[in-house]
Amino acid sequence: MSYLSARGLVRSYGRTPALRGVNLDVEEGEIVAVTGPSGCGKSTLLHCLAGILRPDAGEVTYRGRRIDTLSEGARAALRRTEFGVLFQFGQLVAELTAAENVALPLLLAGTGRREARTAALSWLDRLGVADFADQRPGEMSGGQQQRCAVARALVTEPRVLFCDEPTGALDSLAGEQVLGHLVRLAREQRTTVVLVTHDVQVAAYGDREIMLRDGAADPTGLGTVAAQQ
Amino acid sequence: MKPGTLVRLALAGTRSDTVRVALTGLSAGLATLAYLAALTVIVIPTVEDGGGRVSPQYRHALIAEAGLRPGVVVVLVLLTVPVLALAGQCALLGAPSRDRRLSAIRLAGASPGQAIAIAATETGLASVLGTVVGLGAYFGGREFLHRPDADGRLPLPTDVVPPVWWIAAVCVGIPVVAMLFAVLQLRRVAVTPFGVVRRVRTRAPLPWPGALIVVGLIATATVVPLSRQLEGDPEESGALLLVVLLCGLGCATIGVVTGTGWISYRTGWLMHRFGRRPATLLAARRLMADPWSGSRTLAALLACLVFGGGAAGVRSSFATDFEAERLAAQRSDPSGVIIEPRDTDFYFGAFNLVNIAIGVGLVIAAGGLIVALAESIVSRRRAYAALVATGVPRSTLAKAVMWQSLVPAAAGIVVALAVGAALSQSLFGDEVEREGIVLEVPVPVDDLALLGAGAVAAVLAVVGVGLLFLRASTALEELRV
Ligand SMILES: Nc1ncnc2c1ncn2[C@@H]1O[C@H](COP(=O)(O)OP(=O)(O)O)[C@@H](O)[C@H]1O
Ligand SMILES: [Mg+2]
Repeated sequence: MSYLSARGLVRSYGRTPALRGVNLDVEEGEIVAVTGPSGCGKSTLLHCLAGILRPDAGEVTYRGRRIDTLSEGARAALRRTEFGVLFQFGQLVAELTAAENVALPLLLAGTGRREARTAALSWLDRLGVADFADQRPGEMSGGQQQRCAVARALVTEPRVLFCDEPTGALDSLAGEQVLGHLVRLAREQRTTVVLVTHDVQVAAYGDREIMLRDGAADPTGLGTVAAQQ
Repeated sequence: MKPGTLVRLALAGTRSDTVRVALTGLSAGLATLAYLAALTVIVIPTVEDGGGRVSPQYRHALIAEAGLRPGVVVVLVLLTVPVLALAGQCALLGAPSRDRRLSAIRLAGASPGQAIAIAATETGLASVLGTVVGLGAYFGGREFLHRPDADGRLPLPTDVVPPVWWIAAVCVGIPVVAMLFAVLQLRRVAVTPFGVVRRVRTRAPLPWPGALIVVGLIATATVVPLSRQLEGDPEESGALLLVVLLCGLGCATIGVVTGTGWISYRTGWLMHRFGRRPATLLAARRLMADPWSGSRTLAALLACLVFGGGAAGVRSSFATDFEAERLAAQRSDPSGVIIEPRDTDFYFGAFNLVNIAIGVGLVIAAGGLIVALAESIVSRRRAYAALVATGVPRSTLAKAVMWQSLVPAAAGIVVALAVGAALSQSLFGDEVEREGIVLEVPVPVDDLALLGAGAVAAVLAVVGVGLLFLRASTALEELRV
């Protein structure tokens, strides 16, 4: 059994089908890039894998346990403790400083304030944005904000990090910096990464690439996938 | 930019802009109507009738007795406060689409000043429209309500018209004030070609609103002594006293409203310092980042409460006065026969009218609060949705929203009621004396508690509606890219 796997995932929005039976396996510590044209269902797949969305049919297992059948509360707890999520932009709370944003997941987990701040500062440092610890997101560039978001996603030391177009809103240099940090830290921590992108250069950061086409994993892609209609 | 172009661009909105324009026009119309009615009451002529000064052509004592008319004027003017505040809140309706439109206009080469001018023109045009409708309603209503009874007495002062230039001042003044207000609102907004950025003031508020409250209390305290000084010429002194009273009320109300900003900031600071839970951290930071948000959104509610607290105090001092009068009468006639009791029903009827006006004001204010809270949640939807995706329970966000709304509201409500009650004390003093009988005016605790409970219930209802918006705004659709 793989570390994280999906079997026959189906999901539609009203009458628009987004996933039509996706199978996918991710091994522990692996960095998997999921690619495909815009609108092919990448984000939907990521949300199903991370337990944010429930699939209409099919199953998602994580370390041998079905997670798609868990309650919303249990899935939220899983996302809080085992998973990290990184989006394209706008995920930081505008009123909190960078350090407070990064410390937030720890505070939610019940860590003391001082300890949470220390951890946040050390993660900001590892991402090269320690100087911005007491600035608000509005006072930072897009790339700096996104590095801050990476720190927030990694501060709980998740086992799996889900990224949806994490560099989509950045210029290529800033994007490379963010991805460079992200991949290096993920390897250090042995964090499994599912990286969704439409950009082949971004996908090249992964160990393996899975192509999605029209809601099914494309058998011509490089991934170990079996497409179903 | 040619005026024609300016108007065209100002009117190039979408449906949510239409709602905003309609509500702006509506409140301008209502305000016009209220001000014209107030001016009409002011110009009613009086005749000396024995001791009292009356206008016998009217049926209702509220209008017929010159001594009561300033109260009517004050109520009419105060009713416009929540209406105008609602208009201010409605300026936020559909703001994202307006922001996109303004950015696109900037991208097409407009200067920042021109973008602001376009937004202000929209408000100005809407208010002109509303004012014209209000003017029409005023003159139409006069015709319609001019119904003398069998004795030839009128229900409303439909036989007098304020001077033309007063009417003109209202009709020009309301749109101008609305436009100034729009410009003021957009002052902290930078319209760039890439979007609209709202700059928040990060400097901590200072406690000067306290001074404003004190000035307001002192001003009201001078009204009665001043009226004794000016006994000679009642025509002039009446107007002067009204101005002093309105100034006092205005100062105290502005003090309470801006003081809420200070309270918000300080509470946020305390919550940030001593709070342990993430919900408190989120709420604290939000309170500190924009302490004036409480002042802006609660302004109308607090103004209603200052006035309500004042009215409760005045009612209490009238009731005590009647009681003292009754006791004095009883003493001078020990047989116990009550000599023609004064008709107090009329006064309490008037107070009930005032209470209804306050209730209406509270409801309008709550409407404005809903708009403001919904806007503040919707504009943060991405960050909220991202937090939910990372596993933050919605209940944590809901608690943060509750804290950030209830803290300034609770503090503001208490201060507003206290200041209102203090205003009436400083106006009428804390005891009454009738022919040697001295009674202390009790603090109208029941009335104040009722008002406070009503206001808290309104705020809770608003927060409840806001939480529905929160639920919709944390839908993960917001994260789609
Ligand atoms: N909330 C939604 N409502 C309706 N259709 C949606 C919704 N979310 C996604 N879709 C549709 O599902 C398909 C897949 O979307 P998505 O997973 O976001 O693709 P990608 O991330 O690869 O661009 C698209 O055709 C999109 O239009
Ligand atoms: Mg996507």
